[in-house]
Amino acid sequence: MTNPVPLSTPAEEPAAAPPEGSGTRARPHGAWRALLPSRSPKLITGLILVTAIGLLGLFGPMFAGDPDAISDASFQPPGEGALLGTTQTGQDVLAQLLHATRGSLQIGLLVGVMATVLSALFGILGGYFGGVVDESFSLLSNVMLVIPGLPLVIVIAGFVPAADRGWWTIAVVLAITGWAAASRVLRAQTLSLRSRDYVAAARVAGEKPWRIVSVEILPNLLPLLASQFVFAVIAAILAEAGLSFLGLGASNSETLGTMLYYAQNGFALQREAWWWFVPPGLVIALFGCGLALINFAIDEIINPKLRNTRAGLAEGGVAAGAAGAPGEPAPGEPAERPAVLTISGLNVVYRTARPVHAVKDVSLTLGRGEILGLAGESGCGKTTLAYAVSRLHTPPAEISSGSVTFHDRDGRDIDLLALEGEELRGFRWAKLSLVFQGAMNSLNPVISIREQLADVLTTHRPGMSAEQRRARCAEVLRLVGVDPVRLDSFPHELSGGMRQRVMIAMAMLLDPQVMVMDEPTTALDVVVQRGILREILRLRGELGFAVVFITHDLPLLLELSDRIAVMKDGEVVEYGPAERLYRAPEHPYTRMLLDSFPSLTGARGAFLRDGAAARHDGRTALPGQHTHLSEGAPR
Amino acid sequence: MTTLEVRDLVKDYTLRSGLRRSTLRAADRVSFTLVPGRTVALVGESGSGKSTVARMIARLEKPSSGSITALGPDGRRVSGRAYRHHVQMVFQDPFASLNPFHTIEHHLIRPLRLHGRAAGRAQTRRLAGELLERVNLTPAADFARRRPHELSGGQRQRVAIARALAPGAQVVIADEPVSMLDVSIRLGVLNLLARLQREENLAVLYITHDLATARHFSDDILVMYRGRVVESGPADEVILSPRHPYTRLLASAAPDPEARGRSLEPMPAAAEPAGPLPPTGPGCRFRDRCPSAMPVCSRTPADHPVGPDHYAACWLHAESGRETSGAVAKAGPGGKAGAEDNSGAGRAG
Repeated sequence: MTNPVPLSTPAEEPAAAPPEGSGTRARPHGAWRALLPSRSPKLITGLILVTAIGLLGLFGPMFAGDPDAISDASFQPPGEGALLGTTQTGQDVLAQLLHATRGSLQIGLLVGVMATVLSALFGILGGYFGGVVDESFSLLSNVMLVIPGLPLVIVIAGFVPAADRGWWTIAVVLAITGWAAASRVLRAQTLSLRSRDYVAAARVAGEKPWRIVSVEILPNLLPLLASQFVFAVIAAILAEAGLSFLGLGASNSETLGTMLYYAQNGFALQREAWWWFVPPGLVIALFGCGLALINFAIDEIINPKLRNTRAGLAEGGVAAGAAGAPGEPAPGEPAERPAVLTISGLNVVYRTARPVHAVKDVSLTLGRGEILGLAGESGCGKTTLAYAVSRLHTPPAEISSGSVTFHDRDGRDIDLLALEGEELRGFRWAKLSLVFQGAMNSLNPVISIREQLADVLTTHRPGMSAEQRRARCAEVLRLVGVDPVRLDSFPHELSGGMRQRVMIAMAMLLDPQVMVMDEPTTALDVVVQRGILREILRLRGELGFAVVFITHDLPLLLELSDRIAVMKDGEVVEYGPAERLYRAPEHPYTRMLLDSFPSLTGARGAFLRDGAAARHDGRTALPGQHTHLSEGAPR
Repeated sequence: MTTLEVRDLVKDYTLRSGLRRSTLRAADRVSFTLVPGRTVALVGESGSGKSTVARMIARLEKPSSGSITALGPDGRRVSGRAYRHHVQMVFQDPFASLNPFHTIEHHLIRPLRLHGRAAGRAQTRRLAGELLERVNLTPAADFARRRPHELSGGQRQRVAIARALAPGAQVVIADEPVSMLDVSIRLGVLNLLARLQREENLAVLYITHDLATARHFSDDILVMYRGRVVESGPADEVILSPRHPYTRLLASAAPDPEARGRSLEPMPAAAEPAGPLPPTGPGCRFRDRCPSAMPVCSRTPADHPVGPDHYAACWLHAESGRETSGAVAKAGPGGKAGAEDNSGAGRAG
């Protein structure tokens, strides 16, 4: 019971294990460790409870006397003769409790195994094979779900004559009524796993279906199976206790439920013989509690969010270990435009177990109406910077030092880092707005475009009439090149490019002075991207807002922006006018990034993949440089 | 030394909305041949059907009609299970294409065993190590023991390439192999693929939406739009003097630092389709966005020759095909100028 994982799949496990061979034997711990819950107080408490009760059930009966031995000492309270007192007929409660615990655990484990095997069989096979198999398996599990469980159990249990009602009959009945819900969950998860590329890759490699199910899919379902097993055990023990208490349990067996049943029949409550019914109730409660705690711990491995934090931590090591020349905060040439946003000496740190310095001493100036490009690869801190500037960063991210100042149109300077609550909310959309990469997918699918746009106006411009709001919404849509007829559409009726335009329209609704755009076109096709970039440039000309445009696509920035800051490992390594950056990049990293984009129309020279380049590949030539970079970039 | 012939490949998906059924033709009469030592790039936007073609070649989907034939070195047809010895695939997302549960070695050992390339534990492990070294993952013994989450995206994609080579594949389908990787490591992975191709004389199908890498890393380019190949030809020809209006649109939309300030110029065609075309039916699929759409476009255009080995499925080139082919050869490197000339000629014709 201490390790629920191997127990969960007794049927499939032998099939999966032998062909593994040398592959995983070399480090058998790694795979399992990834599946085991991390040590947490919850898990440890749960394990202690479950182990203690398990040991009681396993070994207790060997030391306890005969639970059925009747004596004259009726209703003895706990004391010398009987540690937990005696029952109405003078039986030893402790001996009964130990035997009953064993009985309940037996039924619980048996049902757990059977229900898990059934749900795995129907859920995984149905999910993997699809088609008729899936439909019939789904139908079966759906029918099982609609049938109310307990009444059915009562009927079945009542139908089987009491004499034939062994504990295994009860176990089978409980298993048959208890697998369906878990099977639905497994089916859904299998459907998602089945479409993963590694399953497709295994099929392309020529693996047979049973091997794909047992070796590629099943291991990734183990945490789920384990949690379902634990849940099935709890449910079975409780259901059995309930049945027995109603007098429908297994005859000639002793479980915690039958103990309670006899306590009820022996008027334990009326005679205030608490020692008769409290111990079995307590054991059930504690065992259920222990299993539930274990289940929480297993949930933590299934929950991908927790995995992400771990991955984030690993990434941190890279960022923290970076070294390089400090950026040149001063722009390459004096900016003719008055500044609208000044970032100076900004530092952002993720306060995790291993602190990550995600943004290091960044100083940038955004001129009014300027397009500032922020280039860098994943993990360089560009998105963190965008979030920090708009104060959208959430713990553990923290601005450790530096300042962000917004120079308002009316000449007022606003210290962004000092804004709080209502002030910040008012500021954020009205003066500085944001468009994020997946923004087009953040539109609410069940609300029309009109309502979603108008909502922003109702919040920020409470004085506006409905008529004015409608006019303004139509106006911004026209600005971004979407027909105002589309106002009444729902997001799913628009293409990805249109939705992104709607998001840009939403960001422009309040006529902001700065728009921060984080990879606004990365998910879109080049032609659509070109259309949106044209709109941004045109609107910038008409409305005069400034844009911070964040992307990894350096050629795009070179074409679009006035100045570019190149970020690497949280630092700005180069900052200057786009033209200069393109013609004469100073930092080796900028040069390397530029070299990573072969020119569409230029000479084939450096990127020749045949002939001369062949001899250099992987060693000295330009491509070799990339090769080494990729080897040296642990992530 | 395997050649892969794709002839008139069609894939229909049935769409159900309520009681109505319609078919979506994801791939429409796609034909091409993959020859050892050469790379063909399949270029198009998302939803153009290029991944559907890849999945059909990898036998992950069944074609609705048409044929995919692999011809072995002896010129005989490869059939049945042996097909997978010859044709392998590299997937787009290296974070999804390796099973998180298994070691790197497992991913290589399985195909080696399945395809009978190695017998016995020692030999299999040695071969797996050699594969890792060939994709520059050294020390191989160290990488073999690791699990996918301990590797960077570029390293994972190298493992995926090694896995594709493990069965001794002669035809490799690379479905957007670098689009999920950081920009600075993309060329490294592409160069690796090119080197392996030279060493093993592989036939490669490179599927991408990136015209620049398609041009630099392939010999021929096929441009797909809404399931159809609209233009095909030698890489430089197709990119530098595109003949189909859609290819021109794609080429003009790609970011180009040399062309600062041109962003405000009008685009050669509508950025997005005006509305959904019927999912099937005759006619050019691009006609609702095309600046030079004509009445004749409601009939499906054939592949008209516009240069040596260069074809465009467009009515603009229906009659002028033979005359312009000479002009193209001259105007080849002229890029845009050539394209302008041709559109003029096309309208005249």
